[in-house]
Amino acid sequence: MFDILFIGLSLSSILLLVALGLAVTYGAMGIINMAHGEMVMLGAYVAVLANIWLGANLLLAIPLAFVVTGALGYAMERMVVRRLYGRLLDTLLATWGIAILLQQAIRLEFGLVFFGLHVEGLGAGLQNVPVPGFLQATLTVFGQELNTYRLFIVAVTVVLTVLTWHVLYRTALGMKVRAIIRNPQMAAACGIDVRQTNSITFALGSGLAGVAGVLMAGFRSVSPDMGATMVVDGFMVVVTGGVGSLLGTVAAAGILGEINALTAITFNEITGRAAVLLVVILVILLKPAGLFSFKGR
Amino acid sequence: MLTMTNLEGCYGRSRALTGVCLTVPKGQITGIMGRNGTGKTTLLKTIMGLTDNTQGTITLDGKDISAAPSHMRARAGIAYVPQGRGIIPDFTVRENIVMGGFANRSGRRAVPEKLAELFPYLTANLDRPGGLLSGGQQQQLAIARALAAEPDVVLLDEPNEGIQPSVVEDIERVILRMSREFGLTVVLVEQNIGFLRRAASTFAIMEKGRVAQTGRVEDLTDAIVDRHMTI
Repeated sequence: MFDILFIGLSLSSILLLVALGLAVTYGAMGIINMAHGEMVMLGAYVAVLANIWLGANLLLAIPLAFVVTGALGYAMERMVVRRLYGRLLDTLLATWGIAILLQQAIRLEFGLVFFGLHVEGLGAGLQNVPVPGFLQATLTVFGQELNTYRLFIVAVTVVLTVLTWHVLYRTALGMKVRAIIRNPQMAAACGIDVRQTNSITFALGSGLAGVAGVLMAGFRSVSPDMGATMVVDGFMVVVTGGVGSLLGTVAAAGILGEINALTAITFNEITGRAAVLLVVILVILLKPAGLFSFKGR
Repeated sequence: MLTMTNLEGCYGRSRALTGVCLTVPKGQITGIMGRNGTGKTTLLKTIMGLTDNTQGTITLDGKDISAAPSHMRARAGIAYVPQGRGIIPDFTVRENIVMGGFANRSGRRAVPEKLAELFPYLTANLDRPGGLLSGGQQQQLAIARALAAEPDVVLLDEPNEGIQPSVVEDIERVILRMSREFGLTVVLVEQNIGFLRRAASTFAIMEKGRVAQTGRVEDLTDAIVDRHMTI
């Protein structure tokens, strides 16, 4: 039982990392970012390429992926998303388009394939990233065998969640972000540069997705279309938890990850998926604003 | 001094201001009056840069700010206390006040010292969520937030609307002190003619999105009030 719960915890961690970025961009900016999953995918490819071309291991790939996907998110906000604030459906379509572009860019090796050039690590096929030796061991805690890589995923997630919480609730940037969530006009009237703050927020959210991608690269194969399902999972977590609530996102990721693990191991993978969807539908039916919706006068 | 020339402000495609010209003298209170829907709130929002497709020019102490985005206008020294107060309900009182400091030109983000004396209730309850305060307390909080920016100009939109009489007196006293003691320029949208006569030095009456009449407050006769304010 304990080992199943532990596997659930590591699934929850990945879900949470994907959802954290979405919670910030969707909650703060009202953007449905369909390309968020592609940031996960690109983060995984950063791990693949860093391993092949730089000989860097997964640990080094984490900050690298954060910077690459963060910068890409920043550029995306500046060039496309910025022009679409307040137009929810248009952001959905535009970011979906970006998602397809990014997938194809990896599949076609940035177009080099047309010139007969091949970049090792890119392309339509599956890629794998080796996990450093010290993360492959099993650890025995209280008579339970724990996979160190899963433990590592949980630890990274805890650190990043605490960091995100700290930025949101204990820094000037976080205060700006939260003010914009509640009342963008008043935020601007108080001297907050709403556009600049949104760019930075979007970049941070994308960077978190990139880190999730690196961690995923350690236990499953990497492919150009791996992000498509991640964005759906991410949104399920955000909506179940309650839009704009960090605590809700954490709780929802924990609950959905554990349900997935418990049913998937007791029955099979497909039942696990169905159980998660069932819970999400029930939550939305019974508490449309999510488990931890914001209350106020 | 705040001057507006041929100001037009829109919400989407509907125009709410048509060619407003107005001069707000420095360090004094200018009262804006008019029936509902004549563009008083839109005027304040347009000064703050919160309306769409604004045309015309706004200058603050000779500097043209018409093209500046809202946050730059705030940082140029204009603070806004909106109708409905715009308090962030899940921010504490302290956070709500400090939020105003993002526009402070000295870069200082803190609760101003003079607040203890102006709003003793707020300074005693800095850690309460803003959403739990009464309407009058929220109004005081909105004014405190504006003052945290250490502005030159404060735009007040019906600060006494829907507030219990005992608090109204407090707020009126603070508004008077803002101009007489702190030397702030105040643009005050107000329906209460009695308070406006006591506080303001000049007035402007709005009708159908334009300024119908302006003058010194001594010249605001009952006849003028009847013509523009009675329904």
